[in-house]
Amino acid sequence: MKIVVTKDQLEKGVVFDRDIFTKIDGNILRLLVIFMIIFTIASITKPQSFLTLGNFISMERQLVEYGLLALGVGIAMVAGGIDLSVVYIANLSAITTGLFLRNFVPVDGGPEQFFIIGIGILIGIITGVCCGAFNGFLISRLRIPAMLATLGTMQLFMGISIIITGGSIVSGIPSAFTQIGRVNVFGVFPLSFIIYLLAVIAIAYIIGKTKFGMRLYLLGTNIKASRFAGVNNNQILMKAYILSGTLAGMAGILSLARINSAKADFGSSFVMLTILIAVLGGINPDGGKGRIYGIFLATLIVQLISSYLNMFPQISNFYRDLIWGSALIIVLIVNFVLDKRKQQRLVRMSQ
Amino acid sequence: MFTVSKESIKKTLMRPEFFVLLTIILLSLFIQFKSGVFFTNNNIVDILRSMIVPGMFALCAYLGFISTGPDISFPLIAALSSYIATEFVFATGYNGPIIVVFLIAIVCGLLMGAVNGFIIAKYKFPSLIVTLATTSIFSGILLGVFQAGRVNLPPVMQEFGRNSLISVVNPVTGLGSALPMTFLIFIGIYLAAYLVLNFTMIGRGVYAVGGDETSAERAGFNVKRIQFGVFTINGGIAAIAGVCYSAQSMFFLPTEFAGMEMIVIAAVILGGTRLMGGVGTLTGCILGTLLITIISNSLILVGAPITWQRFIIGAIIIAGTAISVIQVQNVKSSKQSLLKKGVA
Amino acid sequence: MSEYIVSVKGVKKSFGGVRALKGVNLHIKKGEIHCLAGENGCGKSTIIKVISGVHKADEGDIEINGHKYNSITPAESIKAGIQVIYQDFSIFPNLTVVENLAFNKVLANKKKFVNRKEFRRIAQEAVNKIDFKVDLDARVETLPVADKQLIAISRALLDDAKLIIMDEPTTALTKKEVKRLFDIINKLKEEGVTILFVSHKLDEVFEICDNITIFRNGENVISCPVSEMNESKFAYYMTGRNFDEDAITKETNFGDAVLETKNLCAPGFSDVSFQLRQGEILGITGQLGSGRTELSLALFGLLAPFGGDILVDNKKVEIPNPDRAQELGIALVPEDRLTEGLFLPQSIKWNIEVTRLEKISNKLGLINERKLNEESKQWVKDLGVATNDDEFPVQTLSGGNQQKVVLARWLAAEPKVLILNGPTVGVDIGAKHDIHKLLRKLAKDGMGIIIVSDDIKEIIQTCDRTLLMQGGEITGEIEGNELTVDLLSNYI
Repeated sequence: MKIVVTKDQLEKGVVFDRDIFTKIDGNILRLLVIFMIIFTIASITKPQSFLTLGNFISMERQLVEYGLLALGVGIAMVAGGIDLSVVYIANLSAITTGLFLRNFVPVDGGPEQFFIIGIGILIGIITGVCCGAFNGFLISRLRIPAMLATLGTMQLFMGISIIITGGSIVSGIPSAFTQIGRVNVFGVFPLSFIIYLLAVIAIAYIIGKTKFGMRLYLLGTNIKASRFAGVNNNQILMKAYILSGTLAGMAGILSLARINSAKADFGSSFVMLTILIAVLGGINPDGGKGRIYGIFLATLIVQLISSYLNMFPQISNFYRDLIWGSALIIVLIVNFVLDKRKQQRLVRMSQ
Repeated sequence: MFTVSKESIKKTLMRPEFFVLLTIILLSLFIQFKSGVFFTNNNIVDILRSMIVPGMFALCAYLGFISTGPDISFPLIAALSSYIATEFVFATGYNGPIIVVFLIAIVCGLLMGAVNGFIIAKYKFPSLIVTLATTSIFSGILLGVFQAGRVNLPPVMQEFGRNSLISVVNPVTGLGSALPMTFLIFIGIYLAAYLVLNFTMIGRGVYAVGGDETSAERAGFNVKRIQFGVFTINGGIAAIAGVCYSAQSMFFLPTEFAGMEMIVIAAVILGGTRLMGGVGTLTGCILGTLLITIISNSLILVGAPITWQRFIIGAIIIAGTAISVIQVQNVKSSKQSLLKKGVA
Repeated sequence: MSEYIVSVKGVKKSFGGVRALKGVNLHIKKGEIHCLAGENGCGKSTIIKVISGVHKADEGDIEINGHKYNSITPAESIKAGIQVIYQDFSIFPNLTVVENLAFNKVLANKKKFVNRKEFRRIAQEAVNKIDFKVDLDARVETLPVADKQLIAISRALLDDAKLIIMDEPTTALTKKEVKRLFDIINKLKEEGVTILFVSHKLDEVFEICDNITIFRNGENVISCPVSEMNESKFAYYMTGRNFDEDAITKETNFGDAVLETKNLCAPGFSDVSFQLRQGEILGITGQLGSGRTELSLALFGLLAPFGGDILVDNKKVEIPNPDRAQELGIALVPEDRLTEGLFLPQSIKWNIEVTRLEKISNKLGLINERKLNEESKQWVKDLGVATNDDEFPVQTLSGGNQQKVVLARWLAAEPKVLILNGPTVGVDIGAKHDIHKLLRKLAKDGMGIIIVSDDIKEIIQTCDRTLLMQGGEITGEIEGNELTVDLLSNYI
């Protein structure tokens, strides 16, 4: 009955097996190694353009938006779902904020404009929250599979953006607001990157350390069992998608500040990129697995590759689609194989 | 006898296809009433013409949903394979029968579909994520590797596009419209699909796999081969649709294709295909496409702004999935009430 | 020709280094009803899959009808007359009864095309074999569970099956349906069909089987006629341990009423009134569909009542959801451990501590990791969960230990009322014994316990008082000391 661990077993397997479940996540370690390798390659082959402050600042600035979106997608995936609508939530938020700022910020500036900008930002965030809540409603109350629900809301949110903008670009954003996209802290960190870092830390705390986070993992593992364990599934799912929507709202506002405009279909390639980042970060699309710091590292890796590719002008931007698409499939397969091995080890342990 | 036929009439009336048909009729009457030009020969031909390509795509989406899950890669497969076929004609100066152009496109499409099929069947990844990734890959090949841009079609394809099956002129407005030869291909594909799906064991296997993979495996269906086959065939159908699309518009434009998948998925949902497992008919598929085509063609006729299209598509997808989820739950709860009845 | 229809010798099978079968023998005589028994994970299902061709044996001989196979494919197995009825019935919910019945045969005949008339003829032939009345054009998802099983059985009878393997066929059936199934099995035997009956329900084995083979840990430990088997031997061979039967003592002194229902009505049952007192173990038994499961769900807030009252500590309460049930001190150990009870890939400690989250986190929701670890380790120790580390995924545990984890989870919530729905289903005899002993101890300490079960022996051994349910109503109440197998069987 009792599992007896022989000395032989201890030496051969069990001690080693223990590592899988301890704090040092194998996946995080792998990501760090990948990061270092790419960093080294880039530094050696393109030292004059890669190893510059300007390059680092621009990398920090670029990764913020899809980095935030990927966090949201990751949260949804931990809950056993997915959020395909984040990009369009971000666009809708950018549009509502943009339209508000354009119409209400006084032309001559003055101190009261900061108050109005504050309200504008709030409006963008609230837009994100509402969109997330709608996703959450569809997924938790109506029990629509997340993939289909957010496929629909992706169109719906884009549709709303098109309706309120008539399909055109929202521009002419007051410069006081776009400063957010330009300010550098200590000359090294763009403000938006600082905001992103804070978001990563906050989300890592919420998902990794709190009761909400633990319930999210459990729900993502087995939604029926979590109901039977007294977890309020609807509430947890609702919170998860609202969180994802909020992050998307933030991404939208920061993107508005960076590029000074908003449109209904900006960044449509981010839909796949955010999934790639979440999966690369170790989040299992089946739910209940992965860590937020993994998503953070994966975001850095993707940005490194992206910036490195930029240094070869002969490689057109469209190659990026090819690379990200292939990467997603390769990562899925690698994770699949690693997971299978881990499962085998588990089965062996249970004997 | 009488009760049986009554029963079967009732069954027919309860089918989703019937509701779609009813909606189509009511909507047509409404548009006719508002604009007065719906039931004109050129408008009808226009609608038929506009539903050819979406109808072919709808078959791809339908087969995906019935057997495994969403396939959203067909627009890009269509774009890439029809581009390669077009470039082939340019490169070789080919001037023979159009069928060869189609065959080249189909081979490319099948290969691309096979990539989808292989990954989905072997690893059991969610088909949406896989086809999202391959869409990105195909788009990268088309726009990055080939650097495709707008291409005016070579003569052989233009000629095919210009040949029309029926051509009508509205006696009142003088507006004309022609139904291209591609309509025959559309009919042919659906006929083939109907025969294969209903009269071959492989076709029944497609539904069986969508219903329960494990049971299908045990019954003796080759689940992996069926899933692989479905996505591969989808590639082939998409390629045909791609060539038809270019031929109808006389030029190839790589950016025209992306985004069509959503309209098509909405059409398939409208046609009563259940997005989770093996329920739905080809009739529903065609009717759904027809309905969507009428809606998008007629928005202008009734003076509704075109900017509402995306919103409507999103709303259809959400409402459609919500209804099918509720239906599944109803089946479950009716089982419970049956239990209760049996008990009481 | 040999006297055996299937003869398996020295079959070994490993999965990724795990030895599921360590060289087993299984000999099934023609025309007999052979029982294959063993605890979960003993290799029962693996050997079925080897015989039916789903898995390929690593080593050993398989002889079917005197014909030796090195390895056998599913098609060959079916051709040799072997049919398996799986627990999930292997059906297509989205297709009609006709197609569900006809597919296997048509595919086995390597037909490429669909002939509707042929389909219908096959389907009709299949249902006629067991006088099964069903609408052949109905979509299977709309049919009740028992009909689904009958579809599976009648389908297996096509093809002139020589050996039918039934994998725990009675799990989802009511007593009446089991009787019908046994009639069918006996009739098949008369017609010369051999049956391999996989079960761990002792009474069923004694009732119907001729010979028995017991597996333990991937090895066969005994093969003998059922007449040479008895209860304690059966238990011994299954687990390798001996148990004293009468270790559990009943109680007659109880405290105040802790849970009470008055004319409670919900989908599945109506007008249910009963009282549970502190320190009492109350049994609720009845057929599948008698409303026993629904009653337990309603008490835990998973099924909304539409009439009547629930009282906790003599105060009227509403229980709209499990969160509220937990607040009121009601706990439910669900019927299906794997889908309703456990988070299989998650750690043992998370599986236990999920009900403790409110207590071990601060206002910001931060979990006190130290407390979580301490508590979980204590529970693992207290309940004797056999594991090296509570960080391991709960799926590494055996069925009995998994059930202990679910129990620990709900004991950790410090309930006043503990409801257990089928507490020892699929649990090996050893752990079953431990769990029963634990329940008695908990009752002694003042907890009110409800055991919902159709395992008559379990009810008799553990319960102080038993309610009988039939057709959604309570039809009888028996005090513990009057409870006997015959009495209970009459009711069910």
